[in-house]
Parts: sequence; C-alpha cells; structure tokens
Amino acid sequence: MRSSARNRELVALVPVALLLTAGFAAVFAQEGSRLGNLSAIYGAYFFAVCLATHIYLRIRLPNADPYLFPLMALLTAFGLVMVYRIDESLARDQANWFVLGLVLFALTIQFLRDYEVLERFRYTIAAIGLLLLLAPRLPGIGQQVNGAYLGVKLGPLQFQPAEFSKIAIVIFLASYLREHREVLIVGARRVLGVTLPPLKHFGPMLVVWGASMFMLVFIRDLGSSLMFFAAFLALLYVATGRFSFVVIGMAMFVVGAWFFASTVPHVHDRVEIWLHPYNDPTGNGYQILQSIFAQADGGLFGKGFGQGLITIPGTNAALLPAAQTDTIYSLIVNELGLFGACGVILIYLLIAARGFKIALIAGDGFSKLLATGLTAVFSIQAFVIIGGVTRVIPLTGVTLPFVSYGGSSIVANFVLLALLLLISDRARREAVEPAGRELALGMT
Amino acid sequence: MAYDPISVALKFGFLAVLYLFLLVIARSAFKDLRRTTSPAPDATGFHAAPAYAEAPRGVDAWLVVDRGGGLEPDQRFDLIGGLSIGRSKDSDVQIEDRYASSLHARVFERGGRYFVEDMNSTNGTLLNGATLKGEAELIDGDTVQIGDTEFRLEAS
Repeated sequence: MRSSARNRELVALVPVALLLTAGFAAVFAQEGSRLGNLSAIYGAYFFAVCLATHIYLRIRLPNADPYLFPLMALLTAFGLVMVYRIDESLARDQANWFVLGLVLFALTIQFLRDYEVLERFRYTIAAIGLLLLLAPRLPGIGQQVNGAYLGVKLGPLQFQPAEFSKIAIVIFLASYLREHREVLIVGARRVLGVTLPPLKHFGPMLVVWGASMFMLVFIRDLGSSLMFFAAFLALLYVATGRFSFVVIGMAMFVVGAWFFASTVPHVHDRVEIWLHPYNDPTGNGYQILQSIFAQADGGLFGKGFGQGLITIPGTNAALLPAAQTDTIYSLIVNELGLFGACGVILIYLLIAARGFKIALIAGDGFSKLLATGLTAVFSIQAFVIIGGVTRVIPLTGVTLPFVSYGGSSIVANFVLLALLLLISDRARREAVEPAGRELALGMT
Repeated sequence: MAYDPISVALKFGFLAVLYLFLLVIARSAFKDLRRTTSPAPDATGFHAAPAYAEAPRGVDAWLVVDRGGGLEPDQRFDLIGGLSIGRSKDSDVQIEDRYASSLHARVFERGGRYFVEDMNSTNGTLLNGATLKGEAELIDGDTVQIGDTEFRLEAS
C-alpha cells in the first residue's frame, strides 16, 4: 500500500511530462524555425522538477493520494504550453512561479504536518483572510483592474490576495462548522415542510452571506463572491446533511446578487454584458463574443497548437482579449477543440473526485470539512471562469487554477494541494491500521 | 501551413495520450468505489446513525453522552472491559473536541465498582465539575467532562 501509492504517482508523471513535451514540440513546429530538441529539453526540465517533488512526497507523505499531484502537474503543463504560445517571456515567469509554488508546497508540508494547529488559530486565520480580501480597496496598495478591486501592489510585489484568502476562509469555516454542526442539526425546526436552521444559529449564515454581499459591492467581483459563498454552502451541506440549508442559502444569494446587480453600476454592467453582449459588440461585449467565436472556431479537434489567432493579423490589436488569463480556456478550446476542452474539464472533475474521496476516508470532522472545503473552492473557481467564458454566468476575473498566467494563483493553489495531501496522508495511514474496538460497538 | 503533418500528428497524439491518462485515473477511481465494502450511512459518512449498543447480559453500567464531542446525545457505551476516551481513532469513545488529548481518560471496572482515570491529558478531566487527579470512583449520575464534551454514568 505504502510504496504502491507513490509508485503509481511516479508512473503517472511520465505521461504528464510527455504531454508537455508534445505541446511544446507542436508550438515550435508551428513557429517553424526551432523544431530541434528544445521541446525535449523543456520536457526534461519539467520532469526533473516533478521528480524532485515526487521524491519529497515519497519521504514526507508516503500514503498520500497518488493522482492529485500528477493531475495538477498536468494542468500546469497545459498552462505553460499555452502561455508560452502567447508570449515567451510570460511563460518564463510562469515557470518560475511553478517552481516557487512547489517550494511553498514543500514548506507547507514540512511545517504543517500537524495541520490541526490551524484549528487553534482559526480566528487569527479568519482575520487575515478578511484583511487580504479588503486589501485591494486600501488606498496606496490597492489596484483596480477593469472596475474590480482584485490586485495589491506592495513595492515591486504584485499579487491577488483573494487567491490566498480563499484558503484562510475555508480553514475558518471548516473549523467553525466542525464545532457547531450539532447545534445546527439539533435545533432545526420544520416550518411548512421546510427544515429551517435554528434561529439563534442562523447568525453565522447571515454573517457569511453578508460578507459575500459586501464583497460584491466593495470588491465588485461577482466571481469571487460566488466562489466563497458556494464553498460555504458545500461545507454547510456536508456538516449538517440538510439540503434545505443549501436551498435557503442559494435563494439568499440570488436575491442579494439580483439586488446589487440592479443598484451597483459595475456589477450591473457585467450582468448586462452577459445577457446582451450584442448591444456593444466592439466595446464591452467584445471579449465575451470573441471568446465564444474562438471556441466555436475550434471545432471537434481544434486548429492545433499555436494556430489560433490571438491578435488581428498585421496589427497588435487583440482578437482574444486577456488570452493568457481570463480567456485562456477559450484559446485551449480554439486550438484543441471540443475534445481538448472536455479533457481539461475532466481533469478538474477528477481532481474534485479525488478531493471528496479524501474527505470520505478522513477520520475526524475537521479533516473531512477541510478537505471538502478546499476541493469545493478549487472546483468552483474552475466553474466560475469556465462558466464565464462560455457565457453560462457573467464573466469575471478569477483565474483558471494552475492554467492561467499568474503567480498568486499558482502559488496559492499549490498550498491548497499541500493541505489536501496532508489530510490524505493521515487518512490513508489510519485506514490501513486496524480500527480496534469501536467497530465492535457499532460506532463509525 | 495549416495542415503541416507534424502539427496534425502532434495534436492528435496529444489528445490520445491525454485521454488515455485520464482513463487510467478514472478507472482507478472506479476501483476505489467498488473496494468500499461497507457503504457510509450517508454521502459523507459524517452523520453516523446513533449506535445504541445492545446491552449484553451482565452489563449494569453505561457511559452516556450528555452533549458535544461529535456524538449523539444519549448515546450509550457499555463499560464491560473498560473504555478509553480520546481524540484518536483507536479510542473506544472517539470524541471530536479541541480540548481533548488523543488518549484523554479511561473508565474501568474493578471489583464491581467503576473508576475514571485521567491519562495525563493536556487540559484535564472534570469529575462533577472538579478537576480529577489520578483516578476516582464513579457512581450513578456522576458527570465526567472533557473539554466541551460531557458524559454521565448510569448504573443500575
């Protein structure tokens, strides 16, 4: 059991490195001049970095889930190839962030082996998470991008604090709900056939709802707001097992979002662009329309790596705006077609499946809720941006985890992966040990 | 340019390897699902149905949950053979409590009388509200508190 998990991980990393090599080879072949062995060299570098991480995991977390790391490495490979194909210098940054992300990944595993300490500092962690969320609105360091306040600039350092605060807030919610889930269940009353949470414990739900509405107004980002609230509802459902709480929460979110969409101008604009992109096809609606055309243009198998058009030929004007961040998914669909797109979505689905599996086998409530929350927030982020570029929901500026260009996103998501693997290692280690007398008592 | 054979081969090769890779991982996920012999009582295995242990003959004392600990109130544990209480999975009574140690306390029978003993826990054990030092005898109605979790002894 022990070595077989890590052996499967090692075997799975080989096709990932091969895919990266093939991707680069295809991009080079398209550029014509440099077919040579450069793609093999990049592939070898990538494999070496993954191998080093694998050996670290073999020593530190021998029982952890074997497929999470290869799946996330595959997403990174997608990101590196696509970003390289857009701009070589951006890809160099991206590769550096990948390595930096893995260093933080290793440090997290090193220093948070006993991740239960997180529970003791939950209020500190929650405060840091909220501060990070509000930082982009602080004068001097905050930055406004396309009307949303998402970035922070501290001297030469620029980052998107929401990427880190999502982890902090999930840790807090997992710890809070672990302790209060019983009172939420026991005090519930049925009113007109609907199970309502007890009134005095309704407070936390209102606080989280208020916080996500506050984000909608002050950070003006529907995507992050949706991401946080949906992760909260996922946790609430797992903690209480009451689907009615989820329905009530969704109704509250819809009502709140609808109210602010009709009163806050920036949010209103985003919704208008989503519903009626043709009202302003060369201005506000340009990005979403081009994103959809690019995807339609890909067909079943796509145009091939490096063959999609990002700028209008002969000019520098963008044909696909923000191709390296917001619309990178559309570019992947353009170049790899419907099959490539389904492949990418399958990767996210498999990651979600592995994550929930970890929650299933984890031994204690905090681990279960933490694994659920981290998996949920990661998957919902992917949904928010893929849904955005395919016009399922209004397009907002969150990143496609591990694929989009952006250091904060890559580093924060590797920390998230480290936490998942820590939980997984403990859960699988306990699962192979005999359960003892509790089984005889009928306890689970 | 558009139909360079190398590019086309690489594109389809890429998709083929990608799908093979995902297929292998998905298959292993299905295997995992099949391997789970005892299905969890619900989607998460979190809300285990209260396990009211059938009282074996000869038992005349139980540890009964009053509140907290991630256990159902009024859940009963028979005291035959003694019980260990703690946060670890190996405990007979596994409690989810921030203030509990992995092996926190034990309750046992000796010569027809029942005792509770604190196992050098970090945050201590309260017997009827007073800090427990070492071991002490338990009688019907005594309460044992560990962190936010409370038990009482029921003896007949």
